[in-house]
Amino acid sequence: MIRDIREISDIALEVGRLILQSGGTTNRCEKMMTSVCRVYGFPNTQSFVTPTGIFISVIDADLNISTQIKRIEGRYIDLGKISLVNELVNKLEKSHCQEDPSSCLKPADFMKRLQDIDNYRPYPEWVRTLCGGGTSGFFCLLFGGSWLEFIVAFFVGILVSFTMRLISLLKMNNFLINALGAAMVVTFAKLLDIWVPFIKLDNIIIGGIMLLVPGLSMTNAIRDTMSGDLVSGTARAVEALMISVGIAAGSGSMLKIWSLLGY
Amino acid sequence: MRPFDTLTLMQFMWAFLSIIGFSIRTNLRGWRVLFTGLGGGLAWALYLIILYYSNSLLFSIFGATLLVCIYSELTARRIGIPVSVVVICSIIPLVPGSGLYYCMRAYLAGDMAEASLWITKTLMIAGTIAIGIAVVSSVTNLVNRVLNRF
Repeated sequence: MIRDIREISDIALEVGRLILQSGGTTNRCEKMMTSVCRVYGFPNTQSFVTPTGIFISVIDADLNISTQIKRIEGRYIDLGKISLVNELVNKLEKSHCQEDPSSCLKPADFMKRLQDIDNYRPYPEWVRTLCGGGTSGFFCLLFGGSWLEFIVAFFVGILVSFTMRLISLLKMNNFLINALGAAMVVTFAKLLDIWVPFIKLDNIIIGGIMLLVPGLSMTNAIRDTMSGDLVSGTARAVEALMISVGIAAGSGSMLKIWSLLGY
Repeated sequence: MRPFDTLTLMQFMWAFLSIIGFSIRTNLRGWRVLFTGLGGGLAWALYLIILYYSNSLLFSIFGATLLVCIYSELTARRIGIPVSVVVICSIIPLVPGSGLYYCMRAYLAGDMAEASLWITKTLMIAGTIAIGIAVVSSVTNLVNRVLNRF
């Protein structure tokens, strides 16, 4: 059964885009794309993925080549989406497509499933904002805060999650988003400090900062480098460094401004 | 503080709950958040326990990262999510966000010696976490290749 080469390469590109855009490693992205192509009958697929773009060329038995390039913009952390795409591709691989082509998922259906995943929102927005507050509050407790500081850090986390969502609508770069986020953390903590007595700001601000730390970029940088993708490994490491510098710059300048104002 | 007392248990609970919050915030759904939360809690508890026995900050970070990465490699396939997702959630408590803040605060107070102390500590912790992840992921690649060969 001969399938349309353009259709398959579109599907592979969509799989790659979903994984890369929600913060997956490039190694996994390449693996997923080639295995989708192999299942649909194109075993000689080459792909090259960097954190900002995907290159894929699908080759069929008559040596017709379809090459596509996709630029990836607007990355955000969405671990749920990575897991769903991973699950879908694994299910496709296990369905014995090569032996019995009629049993496996049609490419059009597969594409529709991918679009469903793209639009899938498992939690309403207020739950996620509340969880941002919880994360910030419990990190405050973890680093030695009291219960009163927990409550303040909880509200700081909620406010920061909410404003970060508004900021991300403006589509700024990563450095500026994290600098603004850290500045927000310090501002809200200082504002709440004026009304709530008997709290120390350090643990609250650290709890807020833990919402922004580049854990994902760091992990991906190391895992990419170890699997041989030097380009994306270096790129992610620089991203992690820039995020940290952004956090330090944002929180530092805001602390200085508050101390100049005399609080 | 002795290891395995209620304080360690409470610290474990707080890391657990905060990582569950982080997982839900990044759209991970269903009962899987329990496993990523457990990873985060384990990372922090192991860090505290190893710190008590070895009295070395970097060694305890390294040990905790190593064990937690092994935990992620073992569980991730069973619960059907990529390994990197579990690793990302698990190491968040160890990432030195506090060092970054203390460094900035010391710098603003004009205390350069303290600031450089903190920034060195931060960079070293980050590097140690990196080495831990690197060791486990390359050993896993090797083990998988050997298992596939035979």
